[in-house]
Amino acid sequence: MPTILSELSGIEARNERYMSLHVLTKLFIPFSIALSILFASDLYSALTLVFVALALIVAAGIPLSSIKRYVVVIGSLTSFIAISLFLFARIPGKVLFEACLVRFEAEKGVFEWKLYITDNAVMYASVFVSRIFAMVLSAMLLLGTITDREIVWGLRSLGLPFGASIAVSLFFRGIRLFVSDFLSIREAMTARGVDFARESLIKKFALYSHALIPLLALMITRSYEVSLALETRGITPQSKAKVVYHRYGFSRLDAALMLLFSVLTSLYALGWMI
Amino acid sequence: MSVMEVRDLWWKYRGGGDYVLRGVNLSVREREFLVIMGRSGAGKTTLLLALNGVIPKRLPGEFRGAISLLGRDTSSLDVAEIANYVATVFEDPEIQFVMSTVEDEIVLGLEALGLSEDEIRERIEWSLELVGLGRKFLERNPYQLSGGEKQRVAIASALARRPRILLLDEPTSDLDPKGKKEVVDAIRRLREELDITVVMVEHDPDLVYEFADRVVVLARGKVVASGDPADVLGDPSLRGEGVFPPQVLEVARALSLNHGVKSEEDLVDRIRSKGFSVKGEEKIERGESGKIVVSCEGVKHVYEGGIEALRSVNFQLRLGELVALVGPNGSGKSTLAKIIAGLLKPTSGRVVIEGLPIDRYDRMTLSSLVGYVYQNPDHQIFNQTVFDEVAFGLRLRGLGEHEIRRRVRSALETFGLLGKEEEHPFFLSKGERRRLALASIYVLNPRVLIVDEPTTGQDMIFNRALFDLLKRVSKENRSVLVITHSLNLAYAYADRMVIIKDGRILAEGRPCEIALRDNVLREANLNAPPVSRVYRRLVPESTSVPITVKDFIERVSVAP
Repeated sequence: MPTILSELSGIEARNERYMSLHVLTKLFIPFSIALSILFASDLYSALTLVFVALALIVAAGIPLSSIKRYVVVIGSLTSFIAISLFLFARIPGKVLFEACLVRFEAEKGVFEWKLYITDNAVMYASVFVSRIFAMVLSAMLLLGTITDREIVWGLRSLGLPFGASIAVSLFFRGIRLFVSDFLSIREAMTARGVDFARESLIKKFALYSHALIPLLALMITRSYEVSLALETRGITPQSKAKVVYHRYGFSRLDAALMLLFSVLTSLYALGWMI
Repeated sequence: MSVMEVRDLWWKYRGGGDYVLRGVNLSVREREFLVIMGRSGAGKTTLLLALNGVIPKRLPGEFRGAISLLGRDTSSLDVAEIANYVATVFEDPEIQFVMSTVEDEIVLGLEALGLSEDEIRERIEWSLELVGLGRKFLERNPYQLSGGEKQRVAIASALARRPRILLLDEPTSDLDPKGKKEVVDAIRRLREELDITVVMVEHDPDLVYEFADRVVVLARGKVVASGDPADVLGDPSLRGEGVFPPQVLEVARALSLNHGVKSEEDLVDRIRSKGFSVKGEEKIERGESGKIVVSCEGVKHVYEGGIEALRSVNFQLRLGELVALVGPNGSGKSTLAKIIAGLLKPTSGRVVIEGLPIDRYDRMTLSSLVGYVYQNPDHQIFNQTVFDEVAFGLRLRGLGEHEIRRRVRSALETFGLLGKEEEHPFFLSKGERRRLALASIYVLNPRVLIVDEPTTGQDMIFNRALFDLLKRVSKENRSVLVITHSLNLAYAYADRMVIIKDGRILAEGRPCEIALRDNVLREANLNAPPVSRVYRRLVPESTSVPITVKDFIERVSVAP
């Protein structure tokens, strides 16, 4: 079964051992890393999480080359954080570099706007960047190892009602249809002479707002047709299922990993409190 | 014994104007295979929705009359209760899918019945076997199956509930010839192996003639004919209601051999037993005329992910011709068409439009030269009125309002939409939306008009009128390239047919030449027209074959 990441970008996780873990474990691990990131206040703890997430990505068999898709995002965020800290926040510490960009002298004093790089500013920037990187990696781990089928049946085995599980499944289906409809409508506009690459931002916005009309119409028509089709199969929001057809086994490895990552998050939380 | 009785049924959708069903009376007998025919908008699907209880339980409107299911008035039953006896398969298999594997899709309908896991498993395997799929499909994603496989999964999930009555709403209309054959085989199997009552809405006379015990024709919400398939399909007074005979029956009637002719074999036997003579064979004129307007040389296209959609395609399109591009789903038809329209870039190879490489044109100029009409009109329509929709491309090109009005009016007139200028496109019927999509491209006056699957879900009258129109457009010093699964229309209207499979052009030529190329047709899962097949069985050494019934009758005479 294709994972959510593989449906979006064609990247497949290849490790069968990791993929055979219980859906709850596969949900819990990235969640635990994401939670720990909130408590990571120094560079070492943040970098540890980056390495843990990277190790898990390797273990799951997600190709590391797939990270390059996010390099631009990470690069932009890194630059933004660094510029903010070096230009707009005068963080105390050992000054590594200092340059005056603007200087005004007036009767009441001197105003200076400086590029001010201290060891602490570099440290803060590094912590922020590491946290963002760890967050991106944990999201990749989650999307790269989970299928929508596992989410639906995993939640069902945890007691999610039958009707709600259909809603979850329809949600995933809706996203795919929405994206594919949007691309078709955009292409149909191109076929009539619209050149999106050359249009101004305002014109682009107006054209995309045009696309909302067929998108909404298609969404409404489809929802209506799907609900009728479901009812003619005897499925209503009130329907109940007496059995859960697919049950995923919870192995010792699942239990061990859940415990391990619970401990990890607890340690981070404890460290943050202290 | 009757399993369903419809008595004096009237139905009007809320806000929908007139009644869609007007006093329908119908009795469905147990184990009967009943086919409902009629033009688009005649009320066929509405009648099916009334049979499965969606009308009046789930749709707002005005309902009169009564429907009884197995002796119980359906007004006292909920849709989900009716679903225990009546299963429905819709025209578009995808709207019926919710889950991400075939197994889960079938499980979905069975869990609600409260069956045990073993019973569910047993029913899944039984239903998949019945429709010719099997265990290997359990883990497949239903959205990634071919059209025929998707529809068979939909039928399997309907049958797994073991209904007494199966409603099929144009189950083959969205499919390529291969998919259609797969679904027809599945219906044939369930007809032979199950004691089930089937009510099917269908336009295809060949299918109706093979399966139906009885045919009912609806027109403007009323039953206007009901009876034996041969009688109803052969009734010339029903042509206006979209009921046409299959070619086999039409030939049999024209040669006064109509009694007992059910298949091509029957027709061949009857003609042989009577004795026949054949007129001299028509010489096929070779050579093409008309200026080349599109030329593809060694065009290859590989999608992201490595899927090779086109493998070194050489193709030419001339002014004044209507070319039908046929082949199975996924064969590369749409990819080739989109490359010609400049919507996709070839990975390698050269595309020349009107003597210039395609990349020398800007978007606006190219879209004025090559128009592309999408399969689903809802992907193409995005304005608030019919007028604005057709005018969109002209406004984009900066034409004056007076000129825009003149050209929009002319396009609307050509496509029969005059008088609907101020209507919202989404309130038009599907056939009208399709014509609107065509008009909005036609108005740009392109030299090449590419039309992707224009006949899906439309009745025979609409389809013939559309192909008449496309033929006329091609004669206005333009070229028309139609991607279609409707082989009978392609044979009847195209100047040239191009067969494409696995990204390669297998064959191209005049329809009467294509009909002779058995190996190619077999490889592409296509068929020659029934009259061509019958003719070749009568005259195996023939070097040209008739394509239409008229050609056949002109060439074959039967002893009186």
